[in-house]
This record gives sequence, structure tokens and C-alpha cells, in this order.
Amino acid sequence: MICTGCACLCDDIELENGKVHNACIKGVALIKKAQNTHFTPVADGRKVDGEKAIDEAITKIQNSENFAIYGLDTVPLRAQQIAIDIAKKTEGYIDDASSLCMGVFVEEILLERIKSTTLEEVRDRADFTLYWGADPFNSHPRHISRFTYYPRGQFRQKGWEEDRYLAVVDIRESYTSKLAKKIIMVENDEEFIQSLIDVANGNTPSAYLRDAVELITRIKKSEFGVMFGGLGLRYGLSDIGLLKNLLDELNNLTEFYFIPMGCHPNMRGFNELLFASVGELNSYSFRDGIRDSTFSFSSLLTKEQIDTILIVGADPVASLPFEIASKIAKANVILLDPCPSYTSKIADVVIPTSVSGIGAGGEMIRIDGKKIKFEAHSLEEITDEYVLKRIEEAI
Amino acid sequence: MKIKSGVQKIYIIYNQGADVMVKLSPMNLYQLLPKTNCKECGEQTCMAFAFKLVSRERELVECRPLMEDSKYAQQKKELEELLKPLEDATETGMIIYPERCVGCGNCVVACPVNVSEDPHGCAIGLGPKNDRVILRIVDGKVQAYNVSTCRRFGKNKILCNGCIVTCPTRAIEFAEG
Repeated sequence: MICTGCACLCDDIELENGKVHNACIKGVALIKKAQNTHFTPVADGRKVDGEKAIDEAITKIQNSENFAIYGLDTVPLRAQQIAIDIAKKTEGYIDDASSLCMGVFVEEILLERIKSTTLEEVRDRADFTLYWGADPFNSHPRHISRFTYYPRGQFRQKGWEEDRYLAVVDIRESYTSKLAKKIIMVENDEEFIQSLIDVANGNTPSAYLRDAVELITRIKKSEFGVMFGGLGLRYGLSDIGLLKNLLDELNNLTEFYFIPMGCHPNMRGFNELLFASVGELNSYSFRDGIRDSTFSFSSLLTKEQIDTILIVGADPVASLPFEIASKIAKANVILLDPCPSYTSKIADVVIPTSVSGIGAGGEMIRIDGKKIKFEAHSLEEITDEYVLKRIEEAI
Repeated sequence: MKIKSGVQKIYIIYNQGADVMVKLSPMNLYQLLPKTNCKECGEQTCMAFAFKLVSRERELVECRPLMEDSKYAQQKKELEELLKPLEDATETGMIIYPERCVGCGNCVVACPVNVSEDPHGCAIGLGPKNDRVILRIVDGKVQAYNVSTCRRFGKNKILCNGCIVTCPTRAIEFAEG
């Protein structure tokens, strides 16, 4: 079976006698929780049955004037497509977590301004791996052992001991940096990017001379390099053009690719679907027909522009800053989620749905763009797709 | 030296968790023994006794001064706590701390025996595809099997450290004596 605990989408998970084999603790928590959680539907503070809760949700959406959909990063592609159709029909806003994290990088990749590759290619060919502003040991525990550093690839048979080089650029030490052959602690990401560009061009950089020279020398020696950009890089960068310049320079030295370190299993799927349907990635208003940063979920909440929110598979009350999250409760909140969360405590309508990969089958697009198919293992609970389809048909 | 930001400080304190834990080594045991070299246990020195404790050739109860003299009560308690993981250690001396393991699988993929026994599974980063492997992840925690095939087993053992150096949380240790 497949694990949808993080963006790795591990497909070698086995269930045997109630034990989960090969999954990390994130995956085990998700799979076991999915089997043991008893979560009941709620409508306006009363426990009701599932169908009643869906009817209540439909009424709230029909009565709303400013409707928004948020989340969707953990549900399969078909459910995401239906949610986009609902937003289109209701002329509402639609957004996912990519407006806060990897959307900027994914956009550059979809527009083919940045060269990207698949994780299988990285496993088979990469001899230089750089994690920039990311700690996959904590965020994607199996990322290093499945794809980047420890596995023996088709052209990297000597593995991590001789064939691969792992470097980490971060603001602090991390568990990942303990495994790396080179760690560079930077205070200012843009300054270090500029230093790397200078060294690649044969100029003397104004800062990080020794580190930049060492890194560029190592990249020159390598045949296939890949950079994984995490949230540290995303928020340390005010201009994406600088990163693009760096990647262009590195591509002059060797074959060099970039993959974002998105955390949600199907974030890229949502980005690609919305891109195919309206030409934009996120923060889209169907009423205005444009994408703008003011239509991102956090901006809409700050300005209190929305009266009804449909949240699918997300916990914004926990993940957003308190000032913004506290405004969620002012709107009518409809939540579709497999397990109780902070958002479920304040939601007006709660509809428990199955966990993708366990109770729901479908397809997801991994953060590197590869489509992963999976099937449902149990069909006891209602799926996000079913609930969204009911809502779409009713409105 | 630069003053570290708040986030860095918090992370360092959090990260020190694994580092501040006392390692099960002969020197750390020796520090807690009476250090009188009384020879009552049959060994010439307390240091020799500490080495035998780690290699499980001797037991703590054989140190009579430690057991009988009340002034060593605190040291005795600390030694017993320190030696507790040895009870669950494999025949190669491998000690697994499940509370530190996150199930990342680095050790499973890096172990040279796993690689040679399972070239189409562990070697390419996937889960084990046969039962001959030494390490596998069950319920998010590493577990040891077939320890007799470990490179640290038997008379011709070598000090392979593939599973230790790939674990930043120090969930795997070897009792070395």
C-alpha cells in the first residue's frame, strides 16, 4: 500500500498482523490513527449522521455570499478537480498551502524556467545532493534513505560511501546536517547565492569565500547535481530570479536540477490541476477571474472577506499564525478531515472522511511531478470525493 | 563568537537530547566503579572489570564493595541504569533505543549485509524483500534479525559502523569493550 503521510508517497508499505512494515513513524501514526479513530459527524454543535451533515454543509454553501475552499493537499486528484468545479460554480475563492510554501518554486518548474527531475532519476544518477533550508530527517524521514543519499542507484553502485556527496545549507545544525559531508551555516541566503554565482563566474565573492569555492569545486567534479529547496530557502529569498540565475550558472558547470521540498502529499497535484484549468497555481478568485496574493487564504482571513469556508484535509487553526487563525471562527466553517484537530473544534459542520491511500483510492502527483496511483484498502468510511461530488451536484 | 538567535538556541537545546545521554562505554562505567582495584572480583583492576562488564563476561553483582558498602549506593544505582540496555542487546552487542528511532530507514539501506542479501529491496532504498536482512523497520522502529550474519558477529568480526554513523539520533549503539 501507499503512505500519504508526507510528500515521499512511499509505495513499499506492508500491513501484516496489525503491524506496519517499512513506514517511518509519521506514516505509522497516520495509518494506525486511520484505523483506530472514532470521529463523528457534527452539524452546529450536534452529533448527526453523515448525510445530514452533508445536507447542512450544502445549505451553508448555498446561503453564502463569499465562499472559499482551502486545503485539498492531502486528497486525490479527482476530489481536487471536483473542489475546483465547486469554486467555479459558486464563483468563490480557492487556495491551498502552496501559497505559503512551495508554490513559487512549482510555478517556475511548470513554466519550465527551472530544470527539474524525478526522485527516481536522483536515486539512479545523482552524485551531488544539496539540501537548502530543509531538514528532511524530520519532515520527510525516508527521503534520504529512499532517494538521495543512501540507496545504491543504477549508476551509483558504490552508494553513499564513495559515489555520493551530501551538502546542507541551513541557518542552523540539524539532524540532516549531521549526516552530510559538508554543512554550510548561512545567515543570509541571498548573499550566499550571490557568492556561488560569483565563484561560478570566476569572480571573488564578497562573503562565504571558502565555502562557496568548496561547493562549486565539488559541483564541477560531479556529473549529476540536484538541489532540494525547503522552506528556509523559500523565505530567505525575496527574488526568485536570483535562484534561477544560480541554477543557470550551475547548469553551465554540470547537469543540475532543482526539486522543491514540499511537505503535503498532493500539493503539486492541486497546482497542476488549477494550472490546467485557469492557468494559475493558487490564490485564485473565480469571481474576479484572476490570481492575486490578496486572494490567498491568509489574506482573505486577515481582511475578513469570507463568510463560509470549506476546509478539506487541513488544520489551518493549528498551522496559521494566531492573529489570522483566530479569524477562522468568525466564518461558517465546514471541515472534511479524517481525524479530530483544532479546526474540528471550531468548525460548524464536521464531516469525517477516509484517509487517502487507506479508505480512498485515486491518483496523486508527487512533488517531483510523478503521478502515483493507489487503491483503497477499506471502504468503510465516506470519501472526500463522495462528499464533494454531493455538494457539487446540489449547488 | 556570534550570538545565536532564539530559534538556534532552542534547536540546540532540543538537539542535545541524544548528545548529553551518557554513552555505554568502559570509561564511563569505570568512572562510577569504586576505582580501588581491590581485586575481589578476580580482575586485576577496576578498568579491566569495566571492560568485562561491557562485553557481558562479568556482572555488576560481582563487585562486592559496590554491592555492600552504602557509600556507593548512588553509584550503584547509576551503574544499574546505565547497564540496563545491555539486557536487550543482541549477541553482537547491538543496543536499539526505540524511543530515539524515527524509522527513517537509513540504517536498513546503508547496512552492507542488507545490501548484499537484498539487492532489489534494501539496496535501492525500498523495504526488505526477503527474510535474510539484519535490520528492518516495524511499526516505525528499527528491529534486528539474523544477527549471526552481522559483520560484528563471531571470531572474525570487524568493527563495521554502517548502522551507527547513519543514525543522527543515536538510536543504535554497540556495547564496545
